[in-house]
Amino acid sequence: MDVTIDTIGWTNVEARSWRRMTLVWGLTVLVLLPVLVALGAYMRMFQSNVLPSVAPEWFYAVLTLHSLGMVGAWFVGTMAGISYLLSKYTRPSLAVARFAYLGTIAGVVLLIACTLVGRFGAGWYFLFPLPLYAQGVWSPWATWTFFAALATLGVCWTIWTLDLLRAIAQRYSLGTALCLHYLAGRTAPEVPPMILISTVSLIANIAGLVAAVIVIALFGVQALGVDIDPLLMKNLTFFFGHLLVNVTMYLGVAMVYELLPLYAGRPWKTNRVVAMAWNALLFLIFFAYFHHLYMDFAQPTWVQTFGQISSYLLSIPAAVVSIFGTLALVYASKMRWRLASILLFLGIMGWGVGGIAAVIDSTVEFNVRFHNTLWVPAHFHTYYLMGVVLIVLGFIDHFSQDVSKAGEISSRTKWTVGLLVVGGYGFLAMFYWGGAHSVPRRYAVYPDEVAQGALYARLALAFIAVLFLGIVIYLWETGRRCLKGFAS
Amino acid sequence: MIQMRGLYIFIAVAAALVTVFAYVASSTRRAHDIDFHRAYAVRKALFFALLAVLATGLWFTLGNTPYPRDNEIPTNVVFVVGKQFSFGVSAAPILDDEQYQAATFAEPVDVPAGALVEFRVTSFDVNHGFSLYSPAGQLVAQTQAMPGYVNRLRVRLGDPGTYTVLCLEMCGMAHHRMRGILYVK
Repeated sequence: MDVTIDTIGWTNVEARSWRRMTLVWGLTVLVLLPVLVALGAYMRMFQSNVLPSVAPEWFYAVLTLHSLGMVGAWFVGTMAGISYLLSKYTRPSLAVARFAYLGTIAGVVLLIACTLVGRFGAGWYFLFPLPLYAQGVWSPWATWTFFAALATLGVCWTIWTLDLLRAIAQRYSLGTALCLHYLAGRTAPEVPPMILISTVSLIANIAGLVAAVIVIALFGVQALGVDIDPLLMKNLTFFFGHLLVNVTMYLGVAMVYELLPLYAGRPWKTNRVVAMAWNALLFLIFFAYFHHLYMDFAQPTWVQTFGQISSYLLSIPAAVVSIFGTLALVYASKMRWRLASILLFLGIMGWGVGGIAAVIDSTVEFNVRFHNTLWVPAHFHTYYLMGVVLIVLGFIDHFSQDVSKAGEISSRTKWTVGLLVVGGYGFLAMFYWGGAHSVPRRYAVYPDEVAQGALYARLALAFIAVLFLGIVIYLWETGRRCLKGFAS
Repeated sequence: MIQMRGLYIFIAVAAALVTVFAYVASSTRRAHDIDFHRAYAVRKALFFALLAVLATGLWFTLGNTPYPRDNEIPTNVVFVVGKQFSFGVSAAPILDDEQYQAATFAEPVDVPAGALVEFRVTSFDVNHGFSLYSPAGQLVAQTQAMPGYVNRLRVRLGDPGTYTVLCLEMCGMAHHRMRGILYVK
């Protein structure tokens, strides 16, 4: 085979390897999706009282696996997508991408072992010091396997993130990638918005992963008998957790900035306002997590006030720049409505809808009635399931068509979208309704005071079935195209 | 009920957003060039409108926080300790495991309806969520029960009856069974 070199310096062999690596990531995410949805359905079945003979500890173990699995799957989904799209402009390391893949698989295996074998059930943010208070449900090996899994994932993802930042800095320098020259009124060199958003997200991600490493290390220190401050641990935990979720969403938005113009037939360029918005976001993102600690009255009141203000401000760049930008890009354009473009468009809408619920929850006055009720999973499932998940599925479908050269059947696209939207939003409605009626989150069984939660869980199961049908059609269509892509 | 107010605000704003997305999607049936300067003007207007809405929201809500104020003096103090998997609720301080055990088996504490009550909430092991559910099953107030800290929750419980304390922070295998009782008379 003749070796050719593209403008970025990739040989055709390297470009093929990137496509294959992205296909492997895509197929992995597509395998994880129905499994993790099934785990979610299992929890709603538990809450519907249809599994009375199963011990509740299994609910909490599955909850831990489902939530960590979902957070991890969509984080790597967006990272894989961004890696591929960045390879059009920069030269990320293929070896690091492979290392990240193997490390992620190793971490997932450890997570499955500690939850489904070891019954570890402290939740995805393993609030200090719960992992050390097992009450005989899980053994110390399960606790330390859990932390080994987190450490493995943390190390791999940090190296992956650093490599992407290196690749960006080699082409643009970090200051240019952050579009600081746009802030000074210059537009040269031109920087695609995806580069700007990826840089902002990856820098924030490094901060979050460092916090996670500190949390894991402090758990070790506590286990050695040195008392650690629980409020400090709570701050560090939510700093890391909130950043990881935010970064996943923003990496998804970066993909939309890159892909949607291909369907709308219009360019989406960086300008001063876009640069200002994302640089402001890089500052505000570090303080938004404060709203997780509103009910910790020991936290200084000025921090709580600042938390509400920064959470509110964070919505401005999202709404005025990215959501408005999406609408302006599509408005009266010669849009090619394909499965990928529909999912990307709906993903931004889901981000907006979830954001509205998040702003309400970040209001202290509402938070005192919504905190740790079903309102919380309602809002984050909205911008996950109907936001970043749709965006990643949109990317995978776009990519599968690109590499397989196989088209889509429009009737199946309509069914897929219809089932995902009806099933997804119906499922979410039960969370919102439950939250508004004081039903607590993370209850294996609802006590008499909130027994209505079981009815909402049963209704949610019906919508999950609809959603699952949409996922099956998507997997059949897009999964086949991905498999065909290996032949390219 | 404040929860329903939050739900209605959410439904109204989300419906408006979905309507805009649907309108923009349908506009692609009549494709034409758009004036981007006009779009930038709309964006500017949106920025100031959103800023005004958020500033109004801050103005009306930041004063309604549940945090203790110096100029308020509670008429009753109730001490609460969370521990896997029960709440000890007592009119007297709970300082050790023995007092905690006694509080979990003691008669429920009475507080007067409408009085300003201060709950001093802590934990002897992991994080718990101390929440008060009214006789009608509505969540009326909450704070975290955290080891090493005392969170002071001040609240007026207007409706007489039996209030249930539920745990709102996942604390282990029997988290959903963790509870306490309080009488408002």
